[in-house]
Amino acid sequence: MKISYNWLVELTGVDWSAEEVADRLTLCGTACEEIESTSRYMDKVVVAEVLDLKPIEGADKICLATVNDGASTFDVVCGAPNVAVGMKVPLAQIGAKLVGDIVIKKVKIRGIESTGMICSERELGLSESHEGIMELDTGAKVGQPLAEYLDFNDYILTFELTPNRADSLSAIGIARDLAALAEVEIKRPKVELNEIEEKASDVVSVAIEDLNACPRYAARVIRGVKIGPSPWWLQKKIITAGMRPISNIVDITNLVMLECGHPLHAFDLDRFGSNEVIVRLAKDKEKFTTLDGQTHELTPDVTMITNGKTGVAVGGVMGGLDSEVEDSTTNILLEAAYFNAPMIRKSRRVLGLVTESSNRFEKGADPNGIEYAIDRAAALMQELCSGQVLTGVVDCYPKKIEPWDVTFRPGQCNRVLGTTLATERMVEILELLQCQVTGDEKLTITVPTFRPDLEREIDLIEEVARIIGFDDIPDAQENIGPLFTPSHFEDDFKVDARRTLTGAGFDEMIHHGMVEGKLAQFMEPKVAPIKILNPVSEDLGVMRTCLAQSALNVVQHNISHRNLDLRLFEIGRVYYPPDKNDNWVEEDRIVLVVTGNYPSDWRNPARPNDFYDLTGTMTALWNNYKLPRYELIPASSDWFDQEISFDIQYGGRSVGRIGQFNQKVLKRFEIKEPVFLAEFSIMPFIEAGTPVARFKPLPVFPAALRDIAVVVDLTTKAGEIVSAVKKTGGDLAESVKLFDLYTGKQIPKGKKSIAVAINYRSAKGNLSSEEVDARQGDVVAMLKKNFNAEIRDK
Amino acid sequence: MSLLDEITQLRQNAIERIKKSDSLDSINEVRVKYLGRKGLLTVVLKQLKDLSPEEKKEIGAAANKCRVDLEQEISQASELFEGDKAASDFDPTLPGTDPNIGKVHIINQVIDQICDTFRGMGFEIARGPHIETDYYNFESLNFPPDHPARDMQDTFFVEGGRLLRTHTTPVQARELENREPPIKIIVPGCCYRNEAISTRHHAAFYQVDGFLIDVGVTLADLKGALVAFCKNFFGSDVKLKFRPSFFPFTEPSAEVDISCFLCGGKGCQICKQSGWLEILGCGMIDPNVLKATGHDPEKYSGYAFGMGVERPAMLKYKITDIRNFFNNDIRFLRQF
Repeated sequence: MKISYNWLVELTGVDWSAEEVADRLTLCGTACEEIESTSRYMDKVVVAEVLDLKPIEGADKICLATVNDGASTFDVVCGAPNVAVGMKVPLAQIGAKLVGDIVIKKVKIRGIESTGMICSERELGLSESHEGIMELDTGAKVGQPLAEYLDFNDYILTFELTPNRADSLSAIGIARDLAALAEVEIKRPKVELNEIEEKASDVVSVAIEDLNACPRYAARVIRGVKIGPSPWWLQKKIITAGMRPISNIVDITNLVMLECGHPLHAFDLDRFGSNEVIVRLAKDKEKFTTLDGQTHELTPDVTMITNGKTGVAVGGVMGGLDSEVEDSTTNILLEAAYFNAPMIRKSRRVLGLVTESSNRFEKGADPNGIEYAIDRAAALMQELCSGQVLTGVVDCYPKKIEPWDVTFRPGQCNRVLGTTLATERMVEILELLQCQVTGDEKLTITVPTFRPDLEREIDLIEEVARIIGFDDIPDAQENIGPLFTPSHFEDDFKVDARRTLTGAGFDEMIHHGMVEGKLAQFMEPKVAPIKILNPVSEDLGVMRTCLAQSALNVVQHNISHRNLDLRLFEIGRVYYPPDKNDNWVEEDRIVLVVTGNYPSDWRNPARPNDFYDLTGTMTALWNNYKLPRYELIPASSDWFDQEISFDIQYGGRSVGRIGQFNQKVLKRFEIKEPVFLAEFSIMPFIEAGTPVARFKPLPVFPAALRDIAVVVDLTTKAGEIVSAVKKTGGDLAESVKLFDLYTGKQIPKGKKSIAVAINYRSAKGNLSSEEVDARQGDVVAMLKKNFNAEIRDK
Repeated sequence: MSLLDEITQLRQNAIERIKKSDSLDSINEVRVKYLGRKGLLTVVLKQLKDLSPEEKKEIGAAANKCRVDLEQEISQASELFEGDKAASDFDPTLPGTDPNIGKVHIINQVIDQICDTFRGMGFEIARGPHIETDYYNFESLNFPPDHPARDMQDTFFVEGGRLLRTHTTPVQARELENREPPIKIIVPGCCYRNEAISTRHHAAFYQVDGFLIDVGVTLADLKGALVAFCKNFFGSDVKLKFRPSFFPFTEPSAEVDISCFLCGGKGCQICKQSGWLEILGCGMIDPNVLKATGHDPEKYSGYAFGMGVERPAMLKYKITDIRNFFNNDIRFLRQF
């Protein structure tokens, strides 16, 4: 909301600068986001007179105006339809900076030099009007700076108000906080009405059918108004509030709304259609045309103002086209009503319209602010439109909304704030905010109806806090609450796993849960992903059911940017639709994905990242947590190549999968390079909890290292050989390590050579070479027998 | 002492000194002293001319053997120190072997920094579901039924009557429901709000929320805790400004600005010349939240605060486009 600085000064009499006003208000919760000078686009803009107009050859939309700015005469190209000889206009001279930071320079248009620009109101930041140039009073003094001529040296303060502060949506509303801060009283404009004899109640009647939607409806009648432009002092207030002056009657209703926060509406009484105002809910599918020319189909969520037969306005949102005030209007039916806030919210949603009026009503207007608002507007119509105000307000307000009482304990206030404020100071603040205070120790605070947000003691404590300012509340130096709280293994695990995985040369990705729906179905055809009902876009339409989808997106992104060598991981979450018992399961998983080459350098030749980078890293992770080994069980998957596709099993159950993506998946993600991925649940780690390592005494006796190389069938699994060797080696085989794998020249087709190193050691004493040879002999025999192995000579 | 004995003695002394030598230089000194032109062995050999031919032969052979032995000892000892000599063919400028360490995502680095600071102050980490019920996300947190934040434009709703949490504050309600004060918790995690994705906004973002409930917790305690946090996280020179604000789940509420750590509060492009950066929201937990979760607001009070992670990360590391975080381009990931 925008309100001018001068207006606030007028209402409070404070002598603070605009910056000070903005800062002080911001620190009390009435946040001022911006201060702009009203004349910021009027530097080097002066009053000029149009002396002559000449057409420009070949251009029918523009002409050449000769203007005088008091000092000299210029030629200016002008495209405004309303420009005329003798007219006084604002002239932007060379160097002037207009709205949109347009700097005026000497330019050639169609070969004609133009020295300056005649401005519209929009170009000067005065309004959104750009239909023609701004026409100044014929008496304006040529050469006078425009800002001086307009008497327009003010600041526009833009406020960003919180939704609970309905009371500050007006100049008086903001001024109330300002007055409380300055500890002064607010000076509300005086209302001087001279009602004529005729009674308003003889002219119109008011009835409300739905008191929930509209608890109060008041009307006045003003006769004989003359429609015309508003005086400049009034226009300025409208302009600085970011609105557009229209005509005196409309401007007055807007001014009063801006001044005291209560939206009003003026009907043309002669076009109202009857003498009775009936407020009711709209009928389903009732049609209505608002004054912006839009026709709406309504629902019973909309509150209608009617003439007993047809609708004339959407209550609290917008008036109707048929009863709008026009230039020929002479008699006014002035409405000041109070509408139920939630109803207005529903109403404006049905209409798809947010107006200055609906914005104020939906946040909560003051039901008892109506008297002042309607009298103030009527008095201005009397003063500025030659209107005659009929006696009395036709006021339908069957259930008066009274100010309410809230108990306030000064001790509690200090307890919440951590302060030592005196009761007198609290009372003073609450009274400055126009609350009534009675009682001594336990105070009773009577809250005015313009503060619907003050319902409880804590709300009043907040008022005290924001007026004294948070700066005056001490910063406690003690650490309170528990000094120590336990850490949770899940958090520790994630931090630690990240360390392990980055240590293994994997970069971490992060993701949110939203992914493209069709791809999600493609990746996990058996799970219907949770659909987002109002997605930001189709490609973020569902919650992911696997991490692989996001990981492949990242691989695709990187490869398309020529980042070909990737080792990435994510510790992320997948989401399953609820089961029959409405259990919503979210599962944390780890995904590892590799493609391209392992980093190479001048002595480590390039090799592709592959399956074994994944299993090696997984093993490291498993070992870190002292978990029993996982197993890889061949399992066909929609994701992977037939040959390289495995279930990751742990403790007899499947916890994830690993493999090389097949062409079907890679094509879908537009990836050509081989990609390997492992995705598994973090449950095994979480269930196992913090690992506790137990010290094993270091070996005392020396070891004997023996190698053995065997030729076996290509289909024989190395892991089985290593396990069998370990088993046969028994208590003497301290470790068995596969150190060579070879196929090629010296090895027959269909065979491979595997070499293992066995470290023999006994915990009981020195092993003799005979003992070692004997055990090695057992291993050789076992390999020959069980694996049909041929022993290779060294 | 006979010459022969002299040679034996000399040999012993020389070998002893070679063994004690700790550099090529000191070995060289031994060589010069014993084997040099004016060396001790040469002095012995000079006495040979006065001897009989038999003696000459016997002692000459012994002296020669002594020389050969010592030369061998010296050459062996020198070898040990050969490596100390600058070898011209060794190139130290060849790139060292890269241990190839990956990077923790910058968002998680920042979350860890924030969490570590609060852990140090005695806060416990808690987490909750990302897909939430209306009750925990809004109702229990004192959002009136028709609060604007419940409008479709802010919240993502999912099939099955739930929603994507719009903040991590629902965890506060969940923890409060299950525990007795004192409770001192921080909640990091991903949240969602239905916003158009641009350089500065994303529909998904990270937040760290924290709260403390105990007997006698005051707004002054909240201020003290946040000042301590900000000094730790942004630097000890940082100043804080509390602006009263509004959140349904706290009362009183405030937004906290910190003095711009990029320009020191003088005004720059990042702080839009104001000298201040908006960094977090906070307040005293609304009595309605305590009541809704089964606690007596007359007995307990508490404070709560919440901050985005992306914004401080972007400010601290001068990241200009929020979309970088989710793109996971390795050229981005590896910068931090």
